[in-house]
Amino acid sequence: MNIVLMLVIGSIMIGCVYGVLGMGYSLIYKATGLLNLAHGDFLMIGAFVGLTLVKTGIPYILAIILTFVIMFAFGWCVQLGLVSTLLKKGAAVSYIIILTSAISMILQNGALIIWGAIPLYFPSLFKKTSVKVFGVSTAPESLMVMALAIVCMFGLYLFLNKTKFGTAMRAAALNQKAASSLGINVPVTKGVTWGLAAGLAGLLGVALGPIYGAYLTLGGLIGQKAFASAVAGGYGNMYGAIIGGLFFGFVETFTAAYLTTVYRDMVSFGILILLLIFMPTGLFREQVLE
Amino acid sequence: MLETLKKNKLKLAVIILLIAISFVIARKSYPALILAYIMLYGIGAHGLDILFGYSGQISMGHAGFFAVGAYTSAILSRTFGINPFLTMLAGCIMAVLLGFLIAIPAAKLVKHFLSFLTIAFGQVIYLFVNSCQPLTGGAGGYSSIPKLSLFGFVLDTNAKYYAFTLVLLIIVIILKKNLINSRMGMAFIAIRENVKAAEGMGINVRAYKAYAFAISAFLMGLAGALYAHLVGYISPETFNATASTLFMTMILFGGIGTTMGPLVGSGILMLIKEVFQFLQIYQVLIYGVFILIVLFFMPSGAVGLFNKVVKKIQKKFGKKEQEYADA
Repeated sequence: MNIVLMLVIGSIMIGCVYGVLGMGYSLIYKATGLLNLAHGDFLMIGAFVGLTLVKTGIPYILAIILTFVIMFAFGWCVQLGLVSTLLKKGAAVSYIIILTSAISMILQNGALIIWGAIPLYFPSLFKKTSVKVFGVSTAPESLMVMALAIVCMFGLYLFLNKTKFGTAMRAAALNQKAASSLGINVPVTKGVTWGLAAGLAGLLGVALGPIYGAYLTLGGLIGQKAFASAVAGGYGNMYGAIIGGLFFGFVETFTAAYLTTVYRDMVSFGILILLLIFMPTGLFREQVLE
Repeated sequence: MLETLKKNKLKLAVIILLIAISFVIARKSYPALILAYIMLYGIGAHGLDILFGYSGQISMGHAGFFAVGAYTSAILSRTFGINPFLTMLAGCIMAVLLGFLIAIPAAKLVKHFLSFLTIAFGQVIYLFVNSCQPLTGGAGGYSSIPKLSLFGFVLDTNAKYYAFTLVLLIIVIILKKNLINSRMGMAFIAIRENVKAAEGMGINVRAYKAYAFAISAFLMGLAGALYAHLVGYISPETFNATASTLFMTMILFGGIGTTMGPLVGSGILMLIKEVFQFLQIYQVLIYGVFILIVLFFMPSGAVGLFNKVVKKIQKKFGKKEQEYADA
């Protein structure tokens, strides 16, 4: 019983991460119709930036906020400097995908040059190494990741639905021409969308850092599984991404525990392939077919 | 065919000259190895070009087919002692079957989903090869793969192997050119330009997309099998996601949808890889920067740039050329 409960907590933790990251994919897809293959690498860069900030003596909470701001600016710059410039040249969507994969390569290799190939570890955050939850000892860092992810989800929900700018963003995503004729600055909403997605990814990176450490391929697999989550929940559907994330979190953790650790990631990717083949519209029947 | 040959006398002469020079270079073992690499990666790049350059379908996991060809041929030839020529064919067929398997769902997916489907495919193959120790040797790799031999003639030196891959590449290029000018090639291009219009013209889009996938998988499988028998040792790291992006970089940098582009891209990237070996940690960064350069500054790749320069020169000396033509 205890083991199952432990696994459930672990699944929810990693599922929340996939979910919030998957929300980033959905955000970008809804607002600009694009796919960002470098999304996982934003998480990795976030982890490294956060670590660097913490090492300079900035308190952890402040480091999280600062990383969010830095990654927000970075995401906006990528959108403004690269993505929209290339789109203005009349490039097809496939080329944007290739562009983001080039960005991913450059980020990974850039991180290798700046921070090196050896995983770096955060100084421990909490005095206790474990807390009891329902009688099961859990690392406090996992709980913190969960809490942060939930805060992100609600924050994003409130921002998109209760603020004026969030409403403008949703309007721009729905119909660019109509939004722009109503006086909404569509390029800014697009930039903010990319910024938000990158910022959330970076924030998750800092949150995950104390658990996994910061290393170069941290973002790769997580990013791809987050995409799988976004697809499972209906690509483009924010809340679907969270459910998809939890689904993949559970699948992954329980396969590793009861079936096979060697083929764990293969199972996840196999499910993604099957999903894409048989249920590309996901749980919430989002329109994706040509 | 003869008429086009007459028209392209100069081109043909240059190509023959280049081949002659390459054989002089290939007399030493190491340059011959590099040349053989260029040829076999060129074959793979041509495969990807048929898919992405001509039929407009993106694939970010093509190294998966490369791996399937390599491992199928390697395992069959070593454990069962079958002639490597037959196992290479088996590798290609295996890749084609997987290509069809991927193509059936891929044909109805839009770009994002297609790119992720292919990424997932590449990852599944890579993870499988990496973790299925009893069959593939796992992360340690698969070694002592037999050399290619036919009727007692063994391709035991790199120079011989280079000649063999060169012949294969020329066959591939000729077949590709014929394919593109055929009905199927026209259908590919129509699909690339406008799917709806192609459908309206009565082209069976899903079937042709699947054909494009299968053909490109065949060439990738062939390249993989050639790689396995050339090196004699394969390990999963040759077939990871970076390999997929390497192929993509090759065709983008060479020029997509051209006859020579993939080979040019393969040549340039392989040379860079070998010459700047001391910069190996920056290798991926170089690929990334190359892609950015191509996307922003030279959308038609190296071949397109070359053609532009040639046209400019011809404009300058336009009159002279006219005189030659008259004489």
